[in-house]
Amino acid sequence: MTETTAADAPFAVSVRDVNMVFDGVHAVRDATFDLEKGRFLTILGPSGSGKTTLLRMIAGFGRPTSGEVFINGLAVGSVPPHKRSIGMVFQKLALFPHMTAAENVAFPLRMRRFDARTIPDRVQRYLDLVKLGKLGDRRIHELSGGQQQRVAIARALVFEPDLLLLDEPLAALDRKLREEMQLEFRRIQRELDVTTINVTHDQREALVVSDEIIVMDHGRIQQKARPEATYRQPKNAFVANFIGVTNFIDGVVASIDGERIVFDRPGFIGRSGNGFRPTSGVAARGALRAEQIRIGSGREALGDVDTVFGGTVTDAIFEGERVVYEVTVADLGDTTLRVFDHDPVAHNQHDIGSTVALGWNVKDVLVFGD
Amino acid sequence: MKGDRSKAVTLWTFVAIALVMLSAPTLVVLGASFTAGNMITFPPEGLSLKWYAEIAGATDLRDAFLRSLIVATICTAISIPTGTLAGIALAKYRVRFAAGVQVYLLLPFTVPLIGSGIGLMLIFGKWGLLGQLWPVGVACAVINLPFMIWAVTASAASLDPDLELAAANCGAPPLSTFLAVTVPAVTPGIITGALLMFILALNEFLVSLLLVDARIVTLPVQIYNSIRSIITPDLAAISVVFIAVAAIAIALLDWLVGLDIFLKSK
Repeated sequence: MTETTAADAPFAVSVRDVNMVFDGVHAVRDATFDLEKGRFLTILGPSGSGKTTLLRMIAGFGRPTSGEVFINGLAVGSVPPHKRSIGMVFQKLALFPHMTAAENVAFPLRMRRFDARTIPDRVQRYLDLVKLGKLGDRRIHELSGGQQQRVAIARALVFEPDLLLLDEPLAALDRKLREEMQLEFRRIQRELDVTTINVTHDQREALVVSDEIIVMDHGRIQQKARPEATYRQPKNAFVANFIGVTNFIDGVVASIDGERIVFDRPGFIGRSGNGFRPTSGVAARGALRAEQIRIGSGREALGDVDTVFGGTVTDAIFEGERVVYEVTVADLGDTTLRVFDHDPVAHNQHDIGSTVALGWNVKDVLVFGD
Repeated sequence: MKGDRSKAVTLWTFVAIALVMLSAPTLVVLGASFTAGNMITFPPEGLSLKWYAEIAGATDLRDAFLRSLIVATICTAISIPTGTLAGIALAKYRVRFAAGVQVYLLLPFTVPLIGSGIGLMLIFGKWGLLGQLWPVGVACAVINLPFMIWAVTASAASLDPDLELAAANCGAPPLSTFLAVTVPAVTPGIITGALLMFILALNEFLVSLLLVDARIVTLPVQIYNSIRSIITPDLAAISVVFIAVAAIAIALLDWLVGLDIFLKSK
């Protein structure tokens, strides 16, 4: 049975030292985090990072090999999924194909023994919430992909669960619909103030919808932070690389000057990322976002920057609102840097093979040890 | 262009031959049943429905037909729960010795019917059950169960495993999940298998022959007995009724679940 840990339960979800090993694979390692009530958390990671395994353990599908999950302060290790107050939207939605949209939404209410007289009104209220008011009588296969998403959301929320889990439900949608549904999730989550855990490999989705982001890799939580902090202060090279377009410039530390880390490549200086305190002679890498680099045909075109290198354009990719240049820099050991050029007037003016100047600021180069 | 054409001609020739070969027996029996003469011949001598009138009045044929329906019903009633549970278990769960179980379930298939028929005859004889109708139904269920299991397995294999997790997430305990989600999802397979079992039991001859005595002959055995005396067109007529029942079952199948599911069954 459940046991109480804290007198009052400050966190909607607490995960403590959770490990999951199945078929010899260590899918989740020492996961520990807390989530406050009413917050929207996204677990972000590549496929195989353990994010879905972690989510499913919270839902009760699969017991942790070790560690414990707490919901509202109660250890739920021995609580079967059907006795947890959790709504879930599945990756492939898992709507019941032999039922109508309204019957799908009514199912959790029937199973959870809600007063039968109140069920139709409540179903209608939640169909209205997801803007499917008139489509309750439709069969699942008669609905479009976006409408099916909405049925799945209504089914997950109709019984007012303590927690909403989203297992990459948007992955299969086309980009436009996906972005529309992301905002829809955000709207509904705010309207109902329901604690939500979302799982995705889509960094943009994580940044757009979340109050907080957990980045996972190889079963380990790499960082838990607010979206802006995740983006601006990545805790390690993996996080820096996974979110945004990041260039890595490898080298050896020549000297340290307070926060400034000077590389053995003349003119290349960065600042410590995540409290990294190397000694000279140690290998390190500087992480630099593509949008932090300015590009121009000469030094004077770059404006106010404290680092400048010359390079040769090896590729120029026109993406509509911007041009992505690939520039090889000889003085940085022939490292190829990706550079965004958003200049609305003059962009796309550098030909492949032409010599350009690149400029950035030391504060934007984060140095990591890994 | 020319190559395409000769290819089309060749293919259509094969299709035509196959269609004729498949339907010839049925067409011959159908034609023979409408004969006005007293001998079973094809083409028929004149057209009449008199042999249908004949069989409608023949109590022995009618009783045998009813007995076959009872056997088929018993067989279907047994195989629906057995085959459904076995099929779902084999498709969904990591059953220990699954391969072995599958081979075991195929055994009735590989053993010649005459072999299993004699075996069942010995067992039922020892238990003193011969001379009753229901053991014939049980025997048909035992022999044909792999068809039922296959039909259900095909449906269950395409079942999204998240569907049952979703039901649990909605608050459904395991039994409710099974009844409200799993069974409806494999219903096409259950219907397919059940109708197949019904037709197979209705038509079962060899095993029936070994298990029935003169008082409780089923229709195929009755027809066989009649052939051994005089071949009259009433046998053609009762065969047509037989075919019609099977056709109705197929039509029912098509109407209920669509034949494509049946054809895709593994």
